[in-house]
Amino acid sequence: MALLELRPPVRPPDQGIRPAHKAPLDARHSFTLRRLSRQDRLVMAALFIMAVVFSLWNLTGAPSYQDDEGTYTAQAFSVHKGTLAPYTYWYDHPPLGWIQIAALNWIPMLFNLGDGTAIGATRYVIAAFFVSSAILLYMLARRLTVRIPFAALTTVVFILSPLSLVLGRQVYLDNVAVPWVLLAFYLALSSRHALAHHVFAGTCFAIAVLSKETLAIFGPALLLTLINRPRWSNRAFSVVGFLAVGALVLAFYPLAALLRNELLAGPDHVSLQEALTFQFLKRSGSGTIFETGSSRAELLTGWLYFDKYLITAGLIAALVCLFRRNSRAITLAVALFALPIVLGQGYLPAMYIIAVIPFLALAVGVGVDIAWSGTEKLWRHHAGLKNPLRGSFVVALGGSLVLMSMPQWFEQDRELLTAETNTDWKNTMTWVQDNVSREDVVLAPYSMWHDLNSSGWDDPWSMIAVEKPDLDAQFDQIHPGSWRDVDYIVVGPTVLANIENLGLTRTGKVLENSVPVKTFGEWSINKMTVPLEELAVRGTP
Amino acid sequence: MVSVVLASTVVVVVALALFAIASSTLYLNTYAWWDPKTQVRTSYSGLLETESVSFSLIMPCRNEREDVMRATLAALLTQTHSKKEVIISVGHDDPETVATAYRLANEFPELVRVSVDSNETKNKPLQLNRALEICRNDVVGVFDAESIAAKALLSHIDSVFMTRNADVVQGAVQLINYRDTWYSLRNCLEYFTWFRSRLHAHSRQGFIPLGGNTVFIKRELLNAVGGWDGSCLAEDCDLGVRLSTLGRRIVVAYSPELVTREETPDSVGTLIRQRTRWSLGFMQVFAKGDWKALPTRRMRLIAWWTLMQQHFMAFAGVCIPVAIIAAVWGNFPLIVTLIAFLPLIPTFATIAFDLCMLREFGRDHRFELSSYDYFRLIVGTPFYQMILAYSALRALVKFQRGDFRWEKTSHAGSHLVYIEQAAVAQS
Repeated sequence: MALLELRPPVRPPDQGIRPAHKAPLDARHSFTLRRLSRQDRLVMAALFIMAVVFSLWNLTGAPSYQDDEGTYTAQAFSVHKGTLAPYTYWYDHPPLGWIQIAALNWIPMLFNLGDGTAIGATRYVIAAFFVSSAILLYMLARRLTVRIPFAALTTVVFILSPLSLVLGRQVYLDNVAVPWVLLAFYLALSSRHALAHHVFAGTCFAIAVLSKETLAIFGPALLLTLINRPRWSNRAFSVVGFLAVGALVLAFYPLAALLRNELLAGPDHVSLQEALTFQFLKRSGSGTIFETGSSRAELLTGWLYFDKYLITAGLIAALVCLFRRNSRAITLAVALFALPIVLGQGYLPAMYIIAVIPFLALAVGVGVDIAWSGTEKLWRHHAGLKNPLRGSFVVALGGSLVLMSMPQWFEQDRELLTAETNTDWKNTMTWVQDNVSREDVVLAPYSMWHDLNSSGWDDPWSMIAVEKPDLDAQFDQIHPGSWRDVDYIVVGPTVLANIENLGLTRTGKVLENSVPVKTFGEWSINKMTVPLEELAVRGTP
Repeated sequence: MVSVVLASTVVVVVALALFAIASSTLYLNTYAWWDPKTQVRTSYSGLLETESVSFSLIMPCRNEREDVMRATLAALLTQTHSKKEVIISVGHDDPETVATAYRLANEFPELVRVSVDSNETKNKPLQLNRALEICRNDVVGVFDAESIAAKALLSHIDSVFMTRNADVVQGAVQLINYRDTWYSLRNCLEYFTWFRSRLHAHSRQGFIPLGGNTVFIKRELLNAVGGWDGSCLAEDCDLGVRLSTLGRRIVVAYSPELVTREETPDSVGTLIRQRTRWSLGFMQVFAKGDWKALPTRRMRLIAWWTLMQQHFMAFAGVCIPVAIIAAVWGNFPLIVTLIAFLPLIPTFATIAFDLCMLREFGRDHRFELSSYDYFRLIVGTPFYQMILAYSALRALVKFQRGDFRWEKTSHAGSHLVYIEQAAVAQS
């Protein structure tokens, strides 16, 4: 008996020998870069040129530079100096996004692109990510067996949509993360079911999430993409490899925090834990979408203003995607992405929409392709209807594009490609550079902070971003006189809103006690007028 | 400042080297699963109807128990292939085994013969060479005394020789007594990845260290290269290297139904002795330098890496934690410390894939594995790694001292229980 227990339990034999390892059956998933057809090559070249032209044209003219763009530009330049941010890095976002920008932004700087400004030059880096996204989107559509014209339509919609074009040229981390997530989907769909591709899909997804954390929401859709196919013999390996390597790469972020002793909250230091609680729980919410006037509702209105056609068509097409097995993940991706918008109440950033734009465009391409397959079935049954059906399909598609979206798209794209919205910004900056002493302490919005600081101040505590006197504890150590130490404040269109939303009392004090010395449109440069009784406190004549 | 830069450079270089080693291990271990096409490529070709080669099977024995030898011989004699002979190879200083060998040979006089090696030095390659002298058939095969061949193995090997036009065919060996000791599960899985995956990767690269069991070589070729190297502890690896260098066609084939079944070493001490012998053998082969005759620089690089990887791998398991601890305590810049952690990605990924392989191992051999088995596979890994590292170190010391005595692995016959059990389940 004892001997018997030591023996391993053996399963009864299967009927006959197990069949040899199964190769995948979906030979239709044949799109790879190694075997490109002539048409694919031509279309990709055309789309590439189109993406390059549209993303570079008037890049620095419109839209106007935002504070967030300035923040990431400044952080990217800090990476060159070996730090993650000019001020204390507080785990607001994982740093890989601006580390990637830092890896590339010396190139446009070298060629003096971007009107001689650092933020303008950094937009050129983002343009490279936008062009990559456009091409990857076509490849992804082709890998999802979408016909060439409709795959091209996907990318054209992505490039021409004013929503995509306006957000896609700004220095946002989402723009850096998007090509990685598209590449992850492309690799997960690898036609060879090659384990390496699936492992790299996990890596790419981890890079995307480390570039912008909100993209983590695509995780389940990506996993569905990987497994929702006819069973193949190495599936367990693919899933394990994808999950394990993805998780291991992701783990480097908390690991880095741990090594800096900033993983968990504690006194006297920032921490990943605190940053996460702030971003997900404490940050003042944006209200619900159903509440008119809430910032969530306003955001949605803003997005719809830029492109209601893509959003509506994309949502409908995402439902159509359910009709084809390999495109159900798109439905899931769009649905997951919509969840925080529809159900959430927490803070919702304006650029949140960026990551879903390619998926909406993809849904449109796939949806049209599914509809075309449907009509094809129809004319197979009724041979006489072939030409009328094909004709009316093309007319309906072309008609809806031209009549509905084109007029609005044309108007907004033309605006974007011709407007000069940064003139006042530029004049303000130049005036400060020419007229303010490098010894003076200046508060400036983040949109021009890096360009000002690098023009001679070279000290984040004499050229100070407007949020920092209130939000970075180091300010008190360096400026014992607090807000009274400030000499100038550069006031842009966002400064008042920031003072209100972020509770910037010190910056508010500066603004109260200053008068404009020079004004350019919405911009002005204010000089502090220190009341006499305050001079005593300040201790200088 | 200069010292920090210097120390940081050292940490980064070591970490990148460890990353390369761990990635290479990951690649080799999982090669067979990269792509379903690889799986098709690595299995046996179809069975031909006619037999075209005849086999001389050498069964080297030393201090073996009779029941172990009898089981091995029975598996060889009941092969479905018709043209075969068995030569039991023994040493003159081991009278008990010699007596057993003759007793067995007398039972099957027309199929079994005995070869007694009378050299003063005693080791496996010398015994094999002595036996080779009396082989008469086209292909020479080697089966260790404690291994149980699958019934249809020779027929399939015959077909591979014909369809793939091979000079050498390496069949697979599988340890199966995975429940016996804490290290046996790891040991079994190690064999599984070696024959299921790693050897195929080496074969693809054109440089194969052969195994010493279930290996088949054309007799003429074997004679032409002078048989096995009698002074080498890894005579099998050495032969593979020499034949690879000559550009001969070596085919590796795997099918779970056709593996030769063996047992794990019966104690940690035996395991260490066995591993020391292998490591030392690899070092000898490396030092001999036959691989330097390979035609291209790329091939030589592959050969260098293949022969060294064994040792690298053994040390990497110990070096990675040491490097990380050093990096964390050394107060280096954050990026340097993070790079020190990089080798953990392929290392942990390899362990994750090990779990998938264990599942496949259980499926292939119809073992009912429990979640406890998966658990102990992971928990046992660092300790097993330490045994490998210790053995490699021991081998290095012996190599420096020039101590090349043969440390034989003893056989207890515990795999026979598993085979009986499987046979009962089959019937």
